Amino acid sequence: MNIREWALLTFTILGQLAAGMMLVLMIVRAYVTSKVGVAEADRMTDIPMFMVVPIMGLALLASLLHLNNLVNVVKAVPNMGSSWLSREVVLAVAFAVVAVVYVFLQWRKTGSNSLRNVIGWIGAIIGIVLTCSMPMVYMLRTIPVWNTPMTLITFCVTALLLGTLGAAAALAVNYFIIQKQDSKASAKQLELLRDVIQSTTIAAIILLGVEFLVLPLYMAYLGTSALESLKLMTGTYGTVLVIRLLLVFGGAGVLGTYLFRTASSAGKERLMATLVYSVFVLVLVGEVMGRFLFYATNLRVGL
Amino acid sequence: MAKQLGFYFDASGCTGCKACAIACKDRSDLPVGINFRKVYQYGGGSWANDPQNPGVATPNNIFVYSLSAACMHCQDPICVEVCPVSAITKRDDGVVLIDKERCIGCRYCEWACPYGAPQFNEEKGYMTKCDFCQDLQAQGQNPVCVDACVMRVLKFGELEELKAEYGNVAAIEPLPIAELTSPSLVITPHKHAQISGQGTGHILSVEEG
Repeated sequence: MNIREWALLTFTILGQLAAGMMLVLMIVRAYVTSKVGVAEADRMTDIPMFMVVPIMGLALLASLLHLNNLVNVVKAVPNMGSSWLSREVVLAVAFAVVAVVYVFLQWRKTGSNSLRNVIGWIGAIIGIVLTCSMPMVYMLRTIPVWNTPMTLITFCVTALLLGTLGAAAALAVNYFIIQKQDSKASAKQLELLRDVIQSTTIAAIILLGVEFLVLPLYMAYLGTSALESLKLMTGTYGTVLVIRLLLVFGGAGVLGTYLFRTASSAGKERLMATLVYSVFVLVLVGEVMGRFLFYATNLRVGL
Repeated sequence: MAKQLGFYFDASGCTGCKACAIACKDRSDLPVGINFRKVYQYGGGSWANDPQNPGVATPNNIFVYSLSAACMHCQDPICVEVCPVSAITKRDDGVVLIDKERCIGCRYCEWACPYGAPQFNEEKGYMTKCDFCQDLQAQGQNPVCVDACVMRVLKFGELEELKAEYGNVAAIEPLPIAELTSPSLVITPHKHAQISGQGTGHILSVEEG
């Protein structure tokens, strides 16, 4: 791993976190709106949505670190016809722009609520396409270790897992901000938050299951198509692999279960928030290590 | 104009002297770490106990041969396909060129190319690779690697003509299988040459990068 690959790691992880959060928050927003109306939905998701913008901003900033001629990036006509990297760049910028527009309109409450919702969903959909474009960049026919649908699946699972837990953490932060401003109005919000956190935790546990199902399949694939990479993953980087799995399992699995129980009963919002943040941090670090393994086990074929 | 220029390499006659690589490096004034043409030593085999003389080991299938490789100016160039800014193009005569004015130095082509052809020049800040000595060819001269070859085993020309004369082999170990990018290359294999993707040996000249 060199600086360039760390830049790509940061871009893909933060980009997937941002895209995942946008999608999950739009779903949360739709759910809360249908349950208690737009006002509570705004109160619940406006600040968390705002957090998507700096995360995506950081992702784009990191992506610039692996380039060497920034002037040409502006001059260049993207090779959208055949290059997934080109598509990824365009989608990432489009996602960031739509997210900024959405957050701005939500903040000023400009335009009707349905118009803002449409823009939000456009952002979420661009985020999904962006998440799918990222693995396509790596699925090159000349790189067997990456050229498998498992790359697509793992990237999407990471985006959903980080998005779900990132959204839950952002919603918890939002609740305490609201509580400081108006402690009376926050009772309704707390009820909604507990409800949403229970759902996101179940989603995270299911995604953890998918991740643990995909990993052995991926390793079996490496065993037949890229044996040296498998040896690197289980040998040289074996410790990283084990710690990564322990972090994600301990975070989403063990603490996640505890979080679900905590969120189910009233009056434990402090503990619930601490757990939400802990689960998110553990899984984030685990996913960063997973992505590290992804780059570190790439071995060139041919010369 | 040629439809697809290509290189011909006679692995059965190459001594691995690296004159081609040095001539190329000199002509393009390449820094340490960058070589548009490289000569690889590929070998394998082992020693086995002699059943007639217990305790005495004898060579068992030991082999080594040399392979000179540069950009293959592929017919299906993955570098052209993946470059996000269309900085790499394939000319009418099949030569694949990098436009340094467009290159953003993302090094994606370096990742994708199975021949290690595009190489990043830190000092210049863009990707560089073999341009088939296009300036020399425009003056009717040969690429310098071809002229420098001591054993006369490196040639170039219209790919179809090279194929008609020397056959259809476009890959031996340690080259990747030809189906990936359809390299514009014709090889006369060394007698110990192994089929790409099924090799039992490895590149011995690793320290040369």
